[in-house]
Amino acid sequence: MLAEYGDEAKPLAGGQSLVPMLAMRLARFDHLIDLNNLGELTGVEHTGDGLRIGAMTRQATIGADPLVASHAPLLAMATTHIGHFQIRNRGTVGGSLAHADPAAEYPAVAAALGAKLEVASVRGTRLMEAADFFEGAFATSLDGDELVVAARFPTWDDPSGFAFEEVARREGDFALVGAAVGVGMDTAGIIRRASIAMLGVGGAPVRCTEAETALLGCMAVGGDLDEADIGRLALAGSEPTDDIHASSSYRRRVGAVIVARAVAAAARRAVESSREGCDV
Amino acid sequence: MTRGYRSPDPAAVSTGVEASEAAGRFVGQSVKRVEDRRLVAGYGQYVDDVRLPGMLHAAFLRSDLARARVRRLDTTAAAGLDGVVAVLTAEDLNHYVDSLRSSVNPPDLAIVPGHVLAPGDVRFVGDPVALVVAEDRYLAEDALELIDIDYEPLAPVVDYEQAAGSPHLVHPELGTNLGASGSGPDPGLARVFESAHLVVTETFHQQRQCNMPMETRGLVAHWQRHAGRLDLWASTQSPHELAFTAARVLQIGEHQVRVHMGDVGGAFGQKVYSGRDEMAVLLAARDLGRAVKWIEDRRENLMASNSARVDRLTVTMAVDADGRILGAEIDHLSDSGAYPLGGAPAKSAQLVSMFPGPYRIPRLGWSTATVFTNTVGRGAYRGPWQMETVGREMMIDLAAQRLGMDPLDFRRRNVIERAELPHTTATGRVYEQISPAETLEQAAEMIGYHSFRAEQAEARARGRLLGLGLSLFIEPTSMGRGALGAEGAVVRVEPDGTVTVSMGTGAHGQSLETTIAQVVADELGVEMERVILRQGDGTPYGFGTGGSRSAVIAGGAARAAASEVRARIGRIAAHLLEAAPEDVIVDRGSAFVAGTPARQVSVAEVADAAYRRPESLPEGVPEGLEHTARYRAPEVTHSNAAHACICEIDSGTGVVRILKYVVSEDCGNMVNPMIVEGQIAGGVVQGVGGALYEWAPYDADGNPRATTLLDYVMPTAAEVPILEHGHVVTPSDTPGGHKGVGEGGAIGAPACVVNAVNDALGPLGIRLSRQPLTPDTIISAIAEAESR
Repeated sequence: MLAEYGDEAKPLAGGQSLVPMLAMRLARFDHLIDLNNLGELTGVEHTGDGLRIGAMTRQATIGADPLVASHAPLLAMATTHIGHFQIRNRGTVGGSLAHADPAAEYPAVAAALGAKLEVASVRGTRLMEAADFFEGAFATSLDGDELVVAARFPTWDDPSGFAFEEVARREGDFALVGAAVGVGMDTAGIIRRASIAMLGVGGAPVRCTEAETALLGCMAVGGDLDEADIGRLALAGSEPTDDIHASSSYRRRVGAVIVARAVAAAARRAVESSREGCDV
Repeated sequence: MTRGYRSPDPAAVSTGVEASEAAGRFVGQSVKRVEDRRLVAGYGQYVDDVRLPGMLHAAFLRSDLARARVRRLDTTAAAGLDGVVAVLTAEDLNHYVDSLRSSVNPPDLAIVPGHVLAPGDVRFVGDPVALVVAEDRYLAEDALELIDIDYEPLAPVVDYEQAAGSPHLVHPELGTNLGASGSGPDPGLARVFESAHLVVTETFHQQRQCNMPMETRGLVAHWQRHAGRLDLWASTQSPHELAFTAARVLQIGEHQVRVHMGDVGGAFGQKVYSGRDEMAVLLAARDLGRAVKWIEDRRENLMASNSARVDRLTVTMAVDADGRILGAEIDHLSDSGAYPLGGAPAKSAQLVSMFPGPYRIPRLGWSTATVFTNTVGRGAYRGPWQMETVGREMMIDLAAQRLGMDPLDFRRRNVIERAELPHTTATGRVYEQISPAETLEQAAEMIGYHSFRAEQAEARARGRLLGLGLSLFIEPTSMGRGALGAEGAVVRVEPDGTVTVSMGTGAHGQSLETTIAQVVADELGVEMERVILRQGDGTPYGFGTGGSRSAVIAGGAARAAASEVRARIGRIAAHLLEAAPEDVIVDRGSAFVAGTPARQVSVAEVADAAYRRPESLPEGVPEGLEHTARYRAPEVTHSNAAHACICEIDSGTGVVRILKYVVSEDCGNMVNPMIVEGQIAGGVVQGVGGALYEWAPYDADGNPRATTLLDYVMPTAAEVPILEHGHVVTPSDTPGGHKGVGEGGAIGAPACVVNAVNDALGPLGIRLSRQPLTPDTIISAIAEAESR
């Protein structure tokens, strides 16, 4: 149908962003393609190296799913920050990723974990790296006839720890600024893998590669890790957006604080996970 | 959580005997709300639930420029759209209306030009330019897009602090942007300021806020030409004010207007008066002869209903070395927007008059001004004068800080004690039954003031930012003047013994169906569920519900009418029981002879006699069982309260969390303590919103920046603090001893929260005086303090 109608059609997932835009006459389409009865687009499955989550899987389902909690904990952590439970009952992972709101949680998680998006059209199915998928605010590299059908979130090897931190005006609001962080250690407690993705600072989720590199080789806890420094490094040179809720300078300064807190929490959890590993 | 009727000094407060005398079977009890059975189950009836045969739907084309001349307005294409019945512009409607005056404004005060629709120029973003009436709302909005309009943009007047001197005029007809001004200098103040130990000056700003009722404005109007009858269904606080406006605008008699009151989903002052939008819908309904429904959407409510709280108050206060206030001078500037609702400029006089609040302030000099700007008009909002409390209470904290004095001690030194009553303020107000000192002590105890200071010191040592704020105020309620001065009630015992109370009130969340039933049931001696309140069509004239007036004035009228009916029940029952009227007691729906309860007759039997067996009535007792009474309130009934809260600030993010909030209030005898606490809680949440969250700013071009609930940030259940209530009961001298309480929460809360935030930020050398205190505001203040 997308191939047939092109730009005149829009897929309708959970409708938590699209429907308000239609109601406010900010967007208009000749055709809405309702995905809500496509059972094959829902569900969480374990694929060996990670999770494959159907695009129409509701956020509430993801937040409560035991596979997600054990294999992609960052996704579960981020879910509690999405809107309110009524929104999470309707909202879907595919809708959230395809909508690409710069302040949304799932795109940042996808960027941090290095998720891949399964994208289908009449021409076939392809896998896209999250980094290639998000192009800017509400902009993705999806072609007009393509639909996100699933997202694949890789599982990180233990010991690893994750944290999702954000600051919002109110419970459930879009983040003024937020960070999704993953930290992987070796058995000596030295950070060997690090991932920091920020939301609310740019159009697309921002990977803070310099800060990530700076984390590598640090002791996760009790060593030379200076979280505040990592935070500053993460935001160095960034020019976050300015809006009615927060200035660019707020986002830059507080973004550094949020990254620092998330890095500290993720590192602590990584150490905890290694201890749990020893117990077993 | 509630603290009962207690006070640190029981002897000083009228509790015990007087309170229990005032309490009845229902009055004074936390009876559950009658309204909730239908509201909680989803069976409320709001304006948008009204569907009439052949009903049309209206939608406004609103200006998207703040100030512009309309170069071209062509409605041909819109009018030609299938399903569109009419497209109306200023040319069609404006000649019917000469002014926007309400029943509380004499014609000479109606200074705002009476343009129903934009008259060739637009004066704010949201200004109604045309009205489309169509078979459904979707078609009406489709037609709006087909209206061909071309503007010549003009420089707008956006900043109210610059408006008076601007060469650009919001209303060219007036020749000035100055809406009103006044002053009352105190020549003795100069000497006081010269000789005082300390004189502190500070300017405080409040930001643009919106009333934000859950139900937006709405109206269904149906004019039946041949019946000569106008039926209205409205979301209103004041059904009779709507009838007044409708009759005036349509040039018909008020007796031809029937206002049907359904449930009202909040108003907070927004639905007292009928504005330009309502007038346009009324005129359209008359022209078309078919029912017309207009339901405002949220975007319109935010940008075109009304705004409030755009105030600047400069306070200069002189104190002696012991912290006694010697005098103050205030300068107030407010923004009236383009078309202030109700035609009245901001409540400057009330603000000045209330500035002394609960303190001895022997001298006050003042000046006020309100200006027009190319922004949405100002309207009434819960405590429209509350900038006096905002400025005074923040100034008191500032003065105490400069003196090195604890803010609680500073207030104790200046607060009016019971022994000083009656007290006349520097502005001529006379306080008689108030208890500010008692509420201050109760609030301080409930918040744990002294243990908090120790906890705060320890927290500060660990780098945590904890703060405590206080705020005291006197609330002027139940004004006994003009259209607001009196209310009427008809209490009618129906032939089956049930009771109908008809009143001109417009309950929109105040629970009057419950509280009026409590009052009348006790007065008559019947069960509460036998009493029903009817509002709107067919009720005696009244100004409606607002101004914290219903407990005193509506309650007073209901009480007076019921009291007469009860006397009549007693006389009829005495006749039927062959007893002396003075020996007859009416209780729980029965009249019986004192001491011989077996000799009884039910109120239903008395009613049956009154209507259906007139021959059985005693001589001199009229047939039927109903009475109409009006109650005129005293000039003003003052209530008072003390707020205290504790907050913690995250110094990394600037987020303020309120950990605990207490209110000690004195609204006299409470009809229903649960409902009183609900009123206070709602007001506190709005005040917290004003202090920390809510803001509807304009950009430099006059574009509103918050036109959705994503951008207009209301506190939600997650942000609402834990709230504890304490009560001090000093009955007023009105019947029942009640006082108003509806606006107090919103008056006291902003200063309380800002004072707590400033207390928390104290160690960083930061003191904020401009609301709202968003995370951004706080972080930029911290950044600035670091760079000093």
